[in-house]
Amino acid sequence: MNLLNYVPGNSFLHRLNPITKLAAAFLYGIACILCDSIWMELAFIVLMIAICAAAGLGTRALRLTRNLLILGLFMFVLQLFFVRTGEALVTIGHFVLITTGGLTSALLLSLRVVATMLPLMLLFAITPMNDLCNALVKKAHLPYRYAFIITTAFRFVPLFSTEFHEIQDAQKARGVDFETKNILRKMQLVAPLCVPLLVSSLEKVNSSAISAEMRGFHLRSRQSGYKEYPFTGSDLLVFVLLLALVAFSAVFL
Amino acid sequence: MIRFEHVSFGYPHGETTIEDLSFHIKKGDFIALIGANGAGKSTVSRLCNGLLRPLSGHIYLDGQDTLTTPTSLLARKVGFLFQNPDRQICENTVEAEIAFSMKVQGWPDDEIRKRVATALETFDLKGDWFPFNRSRGERQRIALAGVLACEPQLLILDEPTTGLDYLECIHIMDHIRMLNEEKNITVLMVSHDMELVQDYAKRVLVLRDGKLLGDGPVKEIMKQEALLRQARVLPAQIPSLALAFGDRFAEVFTIREMHEAILSEKKGDPGRKL
Ligand SMILES: Nc1ncnc2c1ncn2[C@@H]1O[C@H](COP(=O)(O)OP(=O)(O)O)[C@@H](O)[C@H]1O
Ligand SMILES: [Mg+2]
Repeated sequence: MNLLNYVPGNSFLHRLNPITKLAAAFLYGIACILCDSIWMELAFIVLMIAICAAAGLGTRALRLTRNLLILGLFMFVLQLFFVRTGEALVTIGHFVLITTGGLTSALLLSLRVVATMLPLMLLFAITPMNDLCNALVKKAHLPYRYAFIITTAFRFVPLFSTEFHEIQDAQKARGVDFETKNILRKMQLVAPLCVPLLVSSLEKVNSSAISAEMRGFHLRSRQSGYKEYPFTGSDLLVFVLLLALVAFSAVFL
Repeated sequence: MIRFEHVSFGYPHGETTIEDLSFHIKKGDFIALIGANGAGKSTVSRLCNGLLRPLSGHIYLDGQDTLTTPTSLLARKVGFLFQNPDRQICENTVEAEIAFSMKVQGWPDDEIRKRVATALETFDLKGDWFPFNRSRGERQRIALAGVLACEPQLLILDEPTTGLDYLECIHIMDHIRMLNEEKNITVLMVSHDMELVQDYAKRVLVLRDGKLLGDGPVKEIMKQEALLRQARVLPAQIPSLALAFGDRFAEVFTIREMHEAILSEKKGDPGRKL
């Protein structure tokens, strides 16, 4: 399943102003970056999952956490062997393989990556791209052209992945064996797929551009959208809470 | 040639798309698989060459179970023409594109060269064309030439004529019929164009919501309007008109037969109005 698509709903998270959601996700991320304690990073992750579970997005949050943990593991391994401070923890003969400093900093870094990315990824579950785009134009006064580029890019990602699979299927049907385990060989096989992918992408982008232009894309201005995105008391509350969280994290953790 | 035994299939995170499907296609047959959009026609065709594998049940291709045979091996027997040729075309020249499948499957070089030359001639193509900026019909011909060059025993066509003009459509279908009749290649054609189906297919499988609704010789199926309506496809015009005329027109399937039938009606009773 696509973990970045919108999940319709009417929870307290869904009802927030799109700008608040975006800002909150960033502030939460900043708080995680500022934090220097392994336990608090864990707490941040758990807190995020709990908030999502309260909004009915528990499984999505868990799945994302699992996927991010894979990324985290990668960072963990890198960090583990490259940071050489602290006492020796594992040695092979006279060679120190892992140090205590390496272990703690690796743990901290990988958890921080997970904790920081999680709210940003969950943003997609609670915000329709169109709303985010319109709110950015109306409230944050971002030129529509740029807001459109960002949201369109996101919209195209699943399309491209479908397209890629179809193209791969076509190659399989002609006898290309993608089931090989050899990474080099696999890259060799995937490279030619870029040509049809590029051709179809360019075609899609071109027709999208034409159809946007035909429907008066260049006439669009800040006043154009019919939907308003007012800030409410809960938006203010979220802002205050998260700013407090960032301050807390910066000063104490 | 190919046998479905109680095949069920569903896409991940979706409902069952194909439910308990069983049928058997004999070598040399020309099958049309018809049904409305979303009936599961493309899914069935992808099950045939191992692009999809059944969740339960078995599909045997010449006795080989598709569950245990890699797609790349099945591809030597099954030629698959996609609805959209752009998915398939990946080489810079028509020549290389036609040779692609044979190269992948490890054919000898001189054999490849010979077959590419034949294919270029048969399909009226030029070897040094850049495939991507040719017309839709030409790209479809390029894709088909690439598929047919390795002489598959089973040819699967997923809506092969969408987006082609009528003459191009006839040209391609006539060629496929010639292969079916002269080289005994089995054809499975997915289509929702009943005119095309009745002109070319020998046997028809009717699909609705992943279940087999009907299976029989094309002439029988074409006369079963209730069945076709149930499958949400538009019956071919001439047989449906003939049906409206009653039993005496039971054997009428083409415009010419319709013409003859009307003439002989008139001969029997000159004053009669139809
Ligand atoms: N890649 C896919 N993932 C999920 N569901 C799919 C996919 N492809 C097709 N389906 C679903 O399977 C059903 C049958 O589709 P398909 O075999 O393409 O029908 P047809 O070719 O007869 O129009 C449809 O309901 C469609 O929504
Ligand atoms: Mg289809």
